[in-house]
Amino acid sequence: MPDAPSRVERVLNLLALLLDTRRALTREEIVHDVAGYPPQITAYRRAFERDKETLRGMGVPLTTESIGDGAELGYRVRPEDYYLPDLGLDAEEAAALRVAVSAVSLGSHAGEGALLKLGGLADEAVAPIASLPIAPALATLFEAFRARAVVRFTHRDRLRTVEPWGLSSKRGHWYVVGFDRDRDAVRAFRADRIEGEVEIGAPDAFAAPADFRPDDHVESRAWLLGDEPAVAVRVRVDADHCDGMLAELGSDATIDEAASDAETSVIEVSITNQAAFRTFVLGFLEHAEVLEPPALRADIVAWLERAAGAA
Amino acid sequence: MSPRALAGPEIQRILALVPWIVAHPDSPKREIALRFGITVDQLDDDLSLVLMIGVPPYSPGDYLDVEEDEDGHVSIRLADYFQRPLRLTPAEGLALLAAGRALLAVPGSDPSGPLATALTKLEHALELPGLVVDVGEPGQLATMRAAVAGHARVEIEYWSAGRDELTTRRIDPEVVFFATGEWYVGAYCHRAHDERMFRVDRIRSVQPTGETFEPGATGFETGDVYTPRDDDTRVTLELAPAAAWVAEAYPTEAVTERADGSLEIVLAVSERAWLERLLLRLGPDARTVAPPEFEALAADAAHRILRRYRDTEGSEGSDRPSGRRPDTEARGRA
Repeated sequence: MPDAPSRVERVLNLLALLLDTRRALTREEIVHDVAGYPPQITAYRRAFERDKETLRGMGVPLTTESIGDGAELGYRVRPEDYYLPDLGLDAEEAAALRVAVSAVSLGSHAGEGALLKLGGLADEAVAPIASLPIAPALATLFEAFRARAVVRFTHRDRLRTVEPWGLSSKRGHWYVVGFDRDRDAVRAFRADRIEGEVEIGAPDAFAAPADFRPDDHVESRAWLLGDEPAVAVRVRVDADHCDGMLAELGSDATIDEAASDAETSVIEVSITNQAAFRTFVLGFLEHAEVLEPPALRADIVAWLERAAGAA
Repeated sequence: MSPRALAGPEIQRILALVPWIVAHPDSPKREIALRFGITVDQLDDDLSLVLMIGVPPYSPGDYLDVEEDEDGHVSIRLADYFQRPLRLTPAEGLALLAAGRALLAVPGSDPSGPLATALTKLEHALELPGLVVDVGEPGQLATMRAAVAGHARVEIEYWSAGRDELTTRRIDPEVVFFATGEWYVGAYCHRAHDERMFRVDRIRSVQPTGETFEPGATGFETGDVYTPRDDDTRVTLELAPAAAWVAEAYPTEAVTERADGSLEIVLAVSERAWLERLLLRLGPDARTVAPPEFEALAADAAHRILRRYRDTEGSEGSDRPSGRRPDTEARGRA
């Protein structure tokens, strides 16, 4: 007598049957046809549930429909939903994708899984060049973005209802950018700061503007994140640190040449979050000081006096 | 282990492997195994499983047919329902696009080369939306990448933020990579006589030395930005609930949560200025508990900065050059 079929064999035969069938099949028909299910009702039902879960977990589009007079459920997998369309990649393009998956570390094996479906892994190891870890929420956000479905999630202790208009990565963080329905404005949310599950609504629920550029709305400079009125700040910085400060401030910052000398420069920039800017300037330790506005300067001095007195 | 965890990868591999062999008849087993990341023995196991797949009424012609010739070339027939691989999951589509867009964003990539056209085809065929990835481009990135590629020893002027000092050093740059939002060079440093990680945006200038080096002496891995060393000082901090994020943001070696929500954490600290910055940022939300010589660290740093502010006030009003750079010359490593 041959060995009992393995679980892998049973699941593969189940999938072959569901793909090959022209009509939805009932659980009892399936269990009767596919080798490897136990004979007892409770046991085969449990085994069938597990197999369905395995298939769906891999992304198999297993559909259910009512059959007969509607009293029974039928199962099938429609080939057109199952089959990966031909991407029409030439050999060079396929190789380029393989290199990209090896060279960029995303903290998951999903890229390798995709490559297997596209016909195989990289022929040789490629030295990684970038690490951009993907938060678990991002795959759901990506699917919602593709399907134009509204998402709901908790971000910084608040429940948000967002139309995902784009995904963007900046300074190593992934953001979902979209229309925040509660705040009635475009907002960017760091994906790794989303707590818990992302709830995904019905598809085709909105249309994003055709020329929408998510990266225009992603701000990684903390002193520009905030709803305070914009304030022009002047900072004196030692010459050795001037380029470093300018690079971090970005293109909006300018040097006041008239106020600068050989040893120090005065940089002007507009900010909307004074507490964040205090942190930024203190990062330069004694190599930088805020000159204006007087209120921010006084706030920093008071902050430092507290820190100095705490010893 | 759950049955699903056991079965999943094997099933997924077979579902990818069968359509490929169907489309590439008479392929050598060695090549197939290499492509799918398995040994030839594993491939043989997979193929014997494939022989067991069929559909009703399960007569001989209803099973997949595997043919192998004497030279180890295989073909699969009668696999109509497995003629194409399973479509990508959202996570897989995202991973391909994210990796591709990230690599394309690396300065120096060909914006219209095979990777770019592959991504366009992928987005088009799978109706995937576009992603925007920005990895930045610090001024010395191209120079450092060229030095890595040419195994060129270089002399760099580097601002060490941790020590708050500008140094000149000769380095053998082994790798350049982007991690935690910054570009880094992993190199052997001839000044430290050890491996060091340098942030590319803090390299002020690069001079060629005309010398080359033998690569491979160091073992950097991407993402290896900071590894605590045994001789780093262990500093104990008391954090108010508002500063609890510190415990997650930095390599913390111990965390004790108190009833009031405050934390006591132990951090490995290699550079004083790094801790000064952190403590000044946290202000009243953090207190150094140990070791004793670090207790006054934040206060001392605050005094130094305050001196600068007071010098400005004392000289000629708040908007005039102070012309002084307190302390900077006296500091630095021996």
